[in-house]
Amino acid sequence: MPLAIQLDRVTKRYRAGRSRTVVDLIGSNLDRMRGRAQDVHSVTRGRIDATIWALRDVSFDVPEGAGVGVIGRNGAGKTTLLKLISRVTWPTSGRVRVAGRVVSLIELGAGFHPELTGRENVYLGGGLFGLTRRDIDRQFDRIVEFADVARLIDTPMKRYSSGLYARLGFSVAIHANPDIVLVDEVLAVGDAAFRRRALEALRQLMTDGKTVLFISHDMWNVRRLCDQVLWMEEGRVKDYGAAGEIAERYMSEVNVQALANQGTALQSHRGGTGEIRYTGVEIVDTAGRTAVLFAPGDTLVVRASYRADRPVARPVFQVAVIDVDTGLVITTATSRPGDAPDRVDASGTIECRFPRMPLRPRQYILRLGITDSHQLASYDVVSAGPRFAVSGHGAGVEGLADEEDGLVSLPFEFAHHTGDVRVVHQA
Amino acid sequence: MPAHGLIDHAEPIPPAAYWELLMNLTKREVKGRYSQSFFGVAWAIAQPLATMAVFTLVFSRLAKMDSNGAPYPLFAFAALVPWFFFMNSVSSGTLSLITYRNIVTKTYFPREIIPLAQVCSRFIDFFAAAALYVLLMTVYGVGIGVWSLMAPVFFLLLILFTVGLTFATSAMNVFYRDVNPVVQIALQLWLYLTPVAYPLAVVPERFRLFFVMNPLSAIVEGFRSAVVFNRAPDWTLTLISASIIAAVFVSAAIMFKRMDKYFADVI
Repeated sequence: MPLAIQLDRVTKRYRAGRSRTVVDLIGSNLDRMRGRAQDVHSVTRGRIDATIWALRDVSFDVPEGAGVGVIGRNGAGKTTLLKLISRVTWPTSGRVRVAGRVVSLIELGAGFHPELTGRENVYLGGGLFGLTRRDIDRQFDRIVEFADVARLIDTPMKRYSSGLYARLGFSVAIHANPDIVLVDEVLAVGDAAFRRRALEALRQLMTDGKTVLFISHDMWNVRRLCDQVLWMEEGRVKDYGAAGEIAERYMSEVNVQALANQGTALQSHRGGTGEIRYTGVEIVDTAGRTAVLFAPGDTLVVRASYRADRPVARPVFQVAVIDVDTGLVITTATSRPGDAPDRVDASGTIECRFPRMPLRPRQYILRLGITDSHQLASYDVVSAGPRFAVSGHGAGVEGLADEEDGLVSLPFEFAHHTGDVRVVHQA
Repeated sequence: MPAHGLIDHAEPIPPAAYWELLMNLTKREVKGRYSQSFFGVAWAIAQPLATMAVFTLVFSRLAKMDSNGAPYPLFAFAALVPWFFFMNSVSSGTLSLITYRNIVTKTYFPREIIPLAQVCSRFIDFFAAAALYVLLMTVYGVGIGVWSLMAPVFFLLLILFTVGLTFATSAMNVFYRDVNPVVQIALQLWLYLTPVAYPLAVVPERFRLFFVMNPLSAIVEGFRSAVVFNRAPDWTLTLISASIIAAVFVSAAIMFKRMDKYFADVI
């Protein structure tokens, strides 16, 4: 398989701190005259001491037609990697080799000018990707159709919404006949329908034998789009291999670290009238230990302590589970008899147990509330409670496949019958 | 399928795409400058015209400056048009890479297109002012002679010098922001150190070398000999300046291509 991209012991160093001035220029020229070796962004005698090693000794190959997800924390060197491959910047040492035309989507519509119309910007933006007027003429209708901007194509782009701006930028890029497409989290903008179409378009490019490098924090998209994952950490390649396996390990590590660092204190600015308030909330496993990471099918317990300043009759405690990306999963409340005491007048603890929780691998956040018996007036609202994550393959949940989309895993069965079957709801 | 295997340098863009990108960036520049202004491109001729009026008052009426027998306004305007082309190009060109940092740091394309587009965007000003000059010629009853065919030659020299200098100042300004204020002040002084308001002939012999080393002297004098006096240019002066311009252009272009790898890092 021929290679599309090859990085060989690539190091990239940036100068940090203040910009160079003429004083530094004179200084470095003095150094040079005294025979000290300097390069163009060198450090001059401690005047500028900080350097950032954006990449250190990075080597990897990407075969043609591959889809590679690039993951890693902020500052891990992901964007620098894309800039090196797209020739926006050059390595301090090492070698970056690329086969074919590269189109980078580091920022959608970066070359557009707000005073120009959509049509003029398509030609301007296409030109930045190396397209001629004739190339663009040929693709113009497809570009406009994909971006769905036909109605506004002769309007100056300063009148466009940011989503529309991004859509046209994306559309121009993917129609620029690239051999290699570099995508830097640009799909975070735009609506869900466009995101889906954009992912489809990237997948189509891969089917057509194009190479796609895809930076994303959304492991779900990475796993759906990419067959390989490159995990960057502190400027180095931490791992490079099969997408599912590496994304899985990355999620577990990131979740544990991020969630372990979350404070235990509840937010201080809260809604509600305050007759009764939560004093602490923790998430524990079946053994009662504090936990942040669960496997699908595990049992999760939310343990919340509260204090009432005066007697409150029949309070209702609410615990909601919210998917960080997509929203509410479920609201629970102590609305059934016996869930909570009829009257509270001091401190206590309430536990909400989710046995064999059928959640998909994602990050979740808890929202908690205490209301009156009609669940109308709020005594307390904790809108951003502790977080937890679900990752990996759990036991105990049937029919759970990686490829299924959705928020929860439901057990399901299919049946098949031959011959005509009466369908109640017919089209 | 890419036609060839792995390469170390950037994929070159087709010449047609290069040219069209330059034209599009030029258009973007012109449109950004003149859109939403009522008089639009008319502003392009206001600058040399107003300066001509002030020069006429100060140098011709008050200082009784000699203009070799030509009407002074015409004499000044013929030099002010190339002068403002040069000044405005270098002035905005110096800042151009910084102004366009958004695309410099985010996409790859031949970076020299950005300062080039700045110079190209001043063509429209140049030709608008040149048209006004032709009008002024009829007003003053000065005819167009055969030596006016030399005007394109001096225009070419003007473009080469302007582009070369803009390459150098724009690239240096990415690394050292002190370059811009130095350039802006230098441009102010340069106008008076170039025979724009006065003829080169009035410069005393001991300052002469300094004026000869300034390629703009030959350019403005050349334009004048072509379209004001209808006579042959000073060939020696022109050849010296052409050599200086060629040297400036080549070394600036080499410097620019060497530095452009680092633009995105420091901009």
